[in-house]
Amino acid sequence: MDASLLTIQPHASEPIYRQIVEQLRRLIASGQLGAGELLPSVRDVAGFHAINPMTVSRAYGIAESEGLLERLRGKGMVVTARLRASHTQAQRLALLEPQLQELARHVRELELPAEPVLRRLTKLLGE
Amino acid sequence: MHAEFQEVVPSFPLQAHNLQLSYQGQLALAGVDLWLEPGSVLGLIGRNGAGKSTLMRAMIGLLEPQAGQAFVFGEPALRLSDAAKARIAYVPQQPEALAWLTATQMLDYVGRFYPRWDAHFAKTMLHRWEIPPSRLLAKLSPGERQRVDLIRALASSPELLVLDEPAAALDPVARRELLREVALRAGESGTTVLFSTHIVSDLERVASEIAFMHHGRLLLRCGVDESKERYARLWLPSRQASAAPKQALSRRHHEDGSISLVVECDAQQRWPEAAALPGARIDALGLEDLFVEIAE
Repeated sequence: MDASLLTIQPHASEPIYRQIVEQLRRLIASGQLGAGELLPSVRDVAGFHAINPMTVSRAYGIAESEGLLERLRGKGMVVTARLRASHTQAQRLALLEPQLQELARHVRELELPAEPVLRRLTKLLGE
Repeated sequence: MHAEFQEVVPSFPLQAHNLQLSYQGQLALAGVDLWLEPGSVLGLIGRNGAGKSTLMRAMIGLLEPQAGQAFVFGEPALRLSDAAKARIAYVPQQPEALAWLTATQMLDYVGRFYPRWDAHFAKTMLHRWEIPPSRLLAKLSPGERQRVDLIRALASSPELLVLDEPAAALDPVARRELLREVALRAGESGTTVLFSTHIVSDLERVASEIAFMHHGRLLLRCGVDESKERYARLWLPSRQASAAPKQALSRRHHEDGSISLVVECDAQQRWPEAAALPGARIDALGLEDLFVEIAE
């Protein structure tokens, strides 16, 4: 994987470390980053995007604690080997959590009851 | 016990206690406490005239405060030893020193005073940042002049780097290069950096912490990530305005009776209760929004 595969938006209200974790989750869940694939070093990511290396370390640390990445001695961070098989439904659902929270927030702001929203969502998912 | 009392920690590159300073009756620093731990990158944001330059100069002993004290690596800033001076580099907004030399001559000359001078870096950067090497510094544009001074500061491999509005002199490409240098040095060599800017996106990339300065005071100091996760704008329609939380960093009443506030979440990441009221809205804030909201 190359550092340029990550997109960093400094202005976004989401902190940069979370932007990185989120992208790693997606790249791995979608298989774009395969098991055993080597990640760019903290220095490469920080240098390429001109961001603080501690931010990158923090993101890698979170991805490691979530079991997405593992540290290989002398090599660096790689995508965990047994990962895809162990991706349970609950884990995949957890990836949607931010969007679901956001949706719930908009529903409350619009003062809509839950039923029509759920009906519409069910319809969308059925299509 | 005195709440103001703070111990001088020799390992802290910068420490300031209750700095106060006025110019001709005009208050520039109204009792500022600020310290930087090794390896941190602190970005100072504030409007023009907020006191950022004055604070930085007072922190490294270039200005004498009327009250309070500043320390650099544990030494009183006004009486720094040569050893401590060799560990720090400061780039003012308008460098004026050694104007009768060319950039090459100046860098050769000052390089002799620094034990860890990187002559190769200095030469490479002069070329990269398109500085005419044999024109007198006095004949360079203000932007070129500040670029030369940034090269001087970085080539000295400082442990503490203090930059006053460094972005102003640089085009977007050179600015990115400077940010990269700052970020990598902080992350890898443990260089501590204090810089002021009003270009907030620069801070968002490299800073580990931010401090908002307004009318000679620090309004807020926190981690960059934390600032985005901890604060938000709460908007309440007029019918809910009376339920607005008493605690808020800023509060604005709109003509239609609605109200917006900058609120803080608690340790469990929960917003104040009013955020759950019908019609209430919570909006995430980028650093720039947060600054504009609280500096009004």
